[in-house]
Amino acid sequence: MIEICKVSKSYNKGKVKAVDEVSLTVHDGEIFGFLGPNGAGKTTLIKMITGILNADQGSIKINGRDIRGNPLEAKMQFGFVPDDPNIFSRLTGIEYLNFMADIYRVSSITRVQRIKELLERFEMSLAAADLIQSYSHGMKQKIIVIGALLHNPPVWILDEPMTGLDPRSSFDLKEMMREHADAGKTVFFSTHVLEVAEKLCDRLAIINKGRVIFCGSLQEIRAHAQANQSLENLFLELTENE
Amino acid sequence: MNSYWALLKILIINYFGISLFQIKNQKNRRPYLKKLGLFLIIIAAIAPTIALYAKLLIQGFDLLAPLGQEGAILTLGIVLVSSIVFVFGIFYVINFFYFAADAQSLLALPLSGYQVLGARFSVVLINEYLSALPFLLPPLLIYGIKSGASALYWLYAAVGFLLVPLLPLSLATIPTVLIMRFANLSRRKDLLKILGGLLVIALAVGYQLLFQKSGPNAMDPAFLQDLLTDRSGLMNLMSRVFPSTRYLGLALINADQLGGLVNLLQFAGLSLLAVALAWLTGEKLYFKGLVGSSETTAKRKMLSEADYRRLGKGLPPVLSYWAKEMRLLFRTPTYFINSVMTNLLVPILLTIPFFIQGRNQTTAMPWEKLLSAASGQTILMAAIIGIIVFMTGSNAITATSISREGREFFISKYIPLSYRKQILAKLLSAYLLGVSGAVLLVIAVRVLMPLDNSLIAMLLGVSMVAITPVIEAGLIIDLYNPKLNWENEQQAFKQNFNVVFSMLLAILLGGAIIYIVIRFIHTPVSAALFMLLGFGLAASLLYYFLMTWGVKRCQELAG
Repeated sequence: MIEICKVSKSYNKGKVKAVDEVSLTVHDGEIFGFLGPNGAGKTTLIKMITGILNADQGSIKINGRDIRGNPLEAKMQFGFVPDDPNIFSRLTGIEYLNFMADIYRVSSITRVQRIKELLERFEMSLAAADLIQSYSHGMKQKIIVIGALLHNPPVWILDEPMTGLDPRSSFDLKEMMREHADAGKTVFFSTHVLEVAEKLCDRLAIINKGRVIFCGSLQEIRAHAQANQSLENLFLELTENE
Repeated sequence: MNSYWALLKILIINYFGISLFQIKNQKNRRPYLKKLGLFLIIIAAIAPTIALYAKLLIQGFDLLAPLGQEGAILTLGIVLVSSIVFVFGIFYVINFFYFAADAQSLLALPLSGYQVLGARFSVVLINEYLSALPFLLPPLLIYGIKSGASALYWLYAAVGFLLVPLLPLSLATIPTVLIMRFANLSRRKDLLKILGGLLVIALAVGYQLLFQKSGPNAMDPAFLQDLLTDRSGLMNLMSRVFPSTRYLGLALINADQLGGLVNLLQFAGLSLLAVALAWLTGEKLYFKGLVGSSETTAKRKMLSEADYRRLGKGLPPVLSYWAKEMRLLFRTPTYFINSVMTNLLVPILLTIPFFIQGRNQTTAMPWEKLLSAASGQTILMAAIIGIIVFMTGSNAITATSISREGREFFISKYIPLSYRKQILAKLLSAYLLGVSGAVLLVIAVRVLMPLDNSLIAMLLGVSMVAITPVIEAGLIIDLYNPKLNWENEQQAFKQNFNVVFSMLLAILLGGAIIYIVIRFIHTPVSAALFMLLGFGLAASLLYYFLMTWGVKRCQELAG
């Protein structure tokens, strides 16, 4: 569960408000999509949830642990997939996974089993011994997804996860997100691909210019607008009217 | 040639991070003022050293003038600058020609090898002029003013200044381009780049030594007599390292004669010939060395059961973080060459000349007498600890440890490992490399000199403690203002003021220790105790500071 309460963040000494008094609750067992045009504040909010950025005000709790007050315990609660998969290019895939397993204190037996299982699922078994710099964009994305799931986190946070994935991997990832939520855990992801949000999310929020302008289920969002309007039209309308 | 100029302009803007257009149009000039401020601080920091250098040159001039040998101060400056340009040149060329992020992208443009290499060569040359300025300007000015030189001298001096870096930089370029061409043939590119870099440096050292050895024995009386009676005797001796520098020296002292002009033309001819050779080598081999240098080979091999078993063992988080740091330091060529190798290079450079020259059987080495006295041992101890402090500061492992993470710094922010432990892991990497450098240096010194076991033990003990405050200070410098926004790894090092600050601090600290010990302490044991206490106290204070302010700073830094 993620509880975001009146969180704000501004840049340039308060001149630019990137996130403005955002409050959201993401429940266990649901996939929550976070939509918004480029520069709307999606990544800034995700960075604050994960502890990469400090919020100017407000509080963020992950499974009841405050990210500022109790950062280490809060960080143990989630697995994070950043939007840029170009990291640790001079480690091999398996070294990276082992590093993540060490950092998240995954036990010996579990780690071998999880790594094997996830490598096979993402068809990465053959590439694991190679340097990450030899991977394609999609492969890098996959190794990071695997690294984020090693400790079987109760909360899974993904920033634009589908970018660069081939159709098969994208399908697998969506399936895994569904399984994760069905197992009673939380999935929170940002995207600007409306189709993904439409097919995958139990609930979603739309953010524009740092403010959440809508939060609810797809049915609610449709009821909010004219009947039978496509999500795309609705999205354009909502974000343009702001 | 148009393409050359266009490329040069872009590279200069990119390399030095300045654009006149930007400066004129940007409202916020703070970043530029900050840069200017840092530049002024560095100038202020090196000013005392330059003043001392100038003082020595003036004294040298006065001492040598009665012998008619005052021109030697010119050769000293020219040779010094040539050596600096040569050694820096190797690092610049490896880094800027091959490891720069834009090196690959230029391959797709319709440019020929000599144009790209030429433009890069010119950027490095500008850098070298800046490095040459504080070393070459003082002797040129002092000789010119004190000898009441004519206008022609000043003209030759200006031309000479522009010419001096050309030959050593070309000499640094040619073997590098050659080796990199063949290093790229193989599959383990990063490793070979590192080995190639090592080989170039080894060749460079070998070349210098060969020239030193091929000359006459400096202790030969007949040679000494010639040295003192011939007007350019001292000049000839010094110019052995870079023989062509002799011509510029002669051109300057004979500026008013026709012979001076001939000498200047000879020097210019040799320098330009070297540049032509370097560019020609570039035309033939540069692209071949670059093509595919970013390719990485992948084995695509299934992990075995044994691999998985090894995996199962795992490490405590802080050690795992440390292992990651070490892997990246050793596997990234730029980091390896600038950090790890700096540590190993000093002991090696110090030992090789003595090995090659060999011991003179009939006369004792000068230090043997020195070492027999307690005060001599104290001086030696202070000097070695001073060098270790300097080595540790200049390898900049901690002074770039946050900067090296660059855009990946956000990972440190979201992983569940406390900043305290991350700081510890970073200190541990630098500490281990610092200790290995110190041990190597002590071994090197032991090979050269007959040291007591007790002295060796004290040296090792003190160096283990002396390294600590230096690496802690480096991390504080980097935490205060890390350079996280870079495009390629070499910017994390080459365009990072933290490296300079760390070096300056190490020079200051090393110098202060040597001065205090030599001036006030007379026995090795009391020197060891003094240093243990001093460095230990500094280490504890800085550790406390890192664990309080440093941790807070990590929290504040945005990923």
